[in-house]
Amino acid sequence: MAILKVQGLIKTFKDVQALDNVSFEFEKGILSFLGPSGCGKTTLLRSIAGLEVPDAGAISIADQVQTSVEDGILVPPYARKIGFVFQNYALWPHMTVYSNVAFGLKLRKLGKEEIKRKVLAALELVGLQGREERYPSQLSGGQQQRVALARSLALEPRLILLDEPLSNLDAKLREEMRVEIRKLIKKVGISALYVTHDQEEAFTISDAVIVMEAGKILQYAAPDDIYNHPAHSFVASFIGHAMLMDARIVTLQGSDCLVTVPEFNGATLVLPAPKQGAAGDACKIVIRTTEIRLSNEKFPEGTDNVLEGLMTSREHRGGLLDHRVQVGSKEIVVTSHKLCPLIRFNGDGGKTFLSIDKSAISIIVDP
Amino acid sequence: MPLLASVIAGGAIITPIVIVLVKSLSTGKLGASVGFTVANYLRVFGDRDILPLLNNSILYAAGSALLGTGLGGLLAWIVARTNTPGKALVELMPLYPILMPPIMKNIAWILLLAPKSGILNNMLQEYFGIEAQIFNAFSMAGMVWVFGLACVPLGYLFLLPVFLSFDPSLEESAYIAGSRPVHTTLRITFPLAVPAFLSALVLNFLRGLRSFETPVLQGTPGNINVFVSRVYDSMALEFNTGLATAYSVVLVVLSVITLFFYIRATRFSERYATITGKGYRVKVLDIGIWKYVTFLAVFVYFLVGIAIPFVVLIVVSMIPYFDYETFMKFPSNMVLSNYTKVMKHPSFITGLYNSLVLSITIALSTVLAGIVMAFTIYRTRTYGAKVFEFIGTLPLAFPPLVLSVGLVIVFLGTPLYNSLWALGLGLFVAYFPYAFRNASGSIVNIHKELDEAAWVHGAKWRHVFFKITLPILKPSVGGALFYIFIEAIRNVDVAVLLTSPGHEYGPVTLFEYFRVGQWAEAAAGGVIYLLILIVAVSVAKFAFNLKFSL
Repeated sequence: MAILKVQGLIKTFKDVQALDNVSFEFEKGILSFLGPSGCGKTTLLRSIAGLEVPDAGAISIADQVQTSVEDGILVPPYARKIGFVFQNYALWPHMTVYSNVAFGLKLRKLGKEEIKRKVLAALELVGLQGREERYPSQLSGGQQQRVALARSLALEPRLILLDEPLSNLDAKLREEMRVEIRKLIKKVGISALYVTHDQEEAFTISDAVIVMEAGKILQYAAPDDIYNHPAHSFVASFIGHAMLMDARIVTLQGSDCLVTVPEFNGATLVLPAPKQGAAGDACKIVIRTTEIRLSNEKFPEGTDNVLEGLMTSREHRGGLLDHRVQVGSKEIVVTSHKLCPLIRFNGDGGKTFLSIDKSAISIIVDP
Repeated sequence: MPLLASVIAGGAIITPIVIVLVKSLSTGKLGASVGFTVANYLRVFGDRDILPLLNNSILYAAGSALLGTGLGGLLAWIVARTNTPGKALVELMPLYPILMPPIMKNIAWILLLAPKSGILNNMLQEYFGIEAQIFNAFSMAGMVWVFGLACVPLGYLFLLPVFLSFDPSLEESAYIAGSRPVHTTLRITFPLAVPAFLSALVLNFLRGLRSFETPVLQGTPGNINVFVSRVYDSMALEFNTGLATAYSVVLVVLSVITLFFYIRATRFSERYATITGKGYRVKVLDIGIWKYVTFLAVFVYFLVGIAIPFVVLIVVSMIPYFDYETFMKFPSNMVLSNYTKVMKHPSFITGLYNSLVLSITIALSTVLAGIVMAFTIYRTRTYGAKVFEFIGTLPLAFPPLVLSVGLVIVFLGTPLYNSLWALGLGLFVAYFPYAFRNASGSIVNIHKELDEAAWVHGAKWRHVFFKITLPILKPSVGGALFYIFIEAIRNVDVAVLLTSPGHEYGPVTLFEYFRVGQWAEAAAGGVIYLLILIVAVSVAKFAFNLKFSL
């Protein structure tokens, strides 16, 4: 049973296409919607919550139809049995922490004792015991965030939706909270949808990621897959930490393929063959620069993809070293840990060899 | 220089206030005061009527505030959050109080609700044979009704922004927690509007305590006295300054207590502050069949609160004299004789002229002085400048009538007493706080670096003031000028004690006409003021680009 099923969702705001025929299924776990602002990820989340009515399409949660424009079904948000953590937390400022968390429980007509037990359990879960009588304005941003989580979790929803919940926190707290949110959701054992524009956040928190752009799903895969094998040049550039370059396929040889890269003075690289594409096709290649090796000496015969360049400068950055190497018309920045085998840097323009494993290169043939 | 200007303005403000306090503790009537006494207070507090007086004052102010703020808040919610048809009728609300000519809301409602001659009671008798005079303008209910309606715009204006800028996720999270729209509105939306509601309520209560026309025109004839009407009676009828000032001090104490609650109400709202500042799209609720109920509410308010008083006023100004039969014959008996009569009256012509000249002068002088004082406080390093912050706000605690009591005593026996100077000074003191608060609010919002950049580049204070501060303040100056002009031009409660033959003030003249029974002429004068106000609004709209909606 899939916890969530979305079919053919379309939503247009005035002249902006927020959702352009979005379909996917999600079994269970934590799923992130990742993309730049305006890509439709929040509209998708709000449509799943029932806060937005799509122009076409259908949504089911746990095999029950919640939205179906064609059949005229629209279960109101208050009957969907979901949780929602808003970007600005949306804590009711006129209620104490306790009343905020108890609000939904009271509506379920539970007994007083049971409500108290559940509220306290939820607050304990997020580490806020003893703060029941505070008002939201008396809490720090991180604490407000926890109350918002507790308020959603107390209702024991089938699915919890989080809309950029960390974007109002400072950088350090953000890193702490994303680990903690994942732990918390896993501990409770429910499924979650998580909207973010921060790829690091999406990768640490989720079991699967949907990358969106202009209302379309570009790739739906596990974080590792998206990182190692971006299916689309937009995905590759959005993920970052990688070099995206134009290339052309020379030949396909079994599971490998050869491409020429004009920016590397037409050097030929070998890499895993793409699913589609033929010799002569234009393509893009993605090189993960963290997996490039540098050396002052020539690499042994038979090493994959050896290039020759000139190191123009080297900069210290905390515990890391950035090497700038000019290869053809392209400057490559290779970052290495200080403890990695030391490369000599003889001032401007020293000759340097680079080797790139073929598994560190992916190829994208955009349709 | 700016300090000197502030000292002069401050002195003008503080003198009448000190005088009231000193006078309340001195013996004797008009002018002949010597010696210290608490007799006036003993008389005030020994009066058997003190409790009914207190009771009436509070009942009247609280009743009007509740009626007006409640209705205003409800209308604001209807306009901002529901799909009620015809809500555009209410959206012009901010314009309505601006267009209301002096004392005309009372005149219109007295004509409608007077027990014997009132239009409604006569209609009930004629069409339904009801002999009992159900409506009575000269009762507590009549007073609360008329002043309550005058409190609606403030309630509306305070609450509309709350409902419009409401963070929709506060409601959405309630839906997700399982709350239905009605429950959400009652448990989330309305409670979040409580701080703004309380602020408007307390402010309307304060306006009720200070209001002059309704207690004097409706309360006194029905023998329902409040503090303001007692101050007026002891000053205008008994000429007993000691007694008038003693009543005044009680009134001031009540005002100060109310102001204290107002400050508390504003602080209370801080708890309601969460992360905001985003541009929200407020969702309009589809309230289904209920939209016809809310439409009815909007329509009835438009008729009762806006249309009927104006129509009655205009009709009455064009019939030979006011009684029910003559009124009902309109328009076959339409005449313009009231207008010609009023325009031939020297007291009206002088009054009209004086009110125009003085309100323009007062608007210009208060706004300029307000900016200079705010500039001194916030932008110069003058020692002790903060004192002016207190002085500039102080008159707010004093009902306008009390200020003019103070000025009468100050000028008594001097040549200034029977002159326009006394009147002008009274209006200046009464309207200065509005100009000052507007200016200081705007100056505080101007980045100090803009000034400092000018200082550093060699500017003297007058360069900074005229080249930097004043030009940046231009938009808010336009609004303040307009607001003070239209308030001053229909002022009755400051001017009423400071006019004299040859030195009339238009609104006071109309007030006198009405008191001596020249109702149709008073209405004609009111319509002339209405035309002036329409011209002022048009000028403000096109010249200053002021907007009259939110």
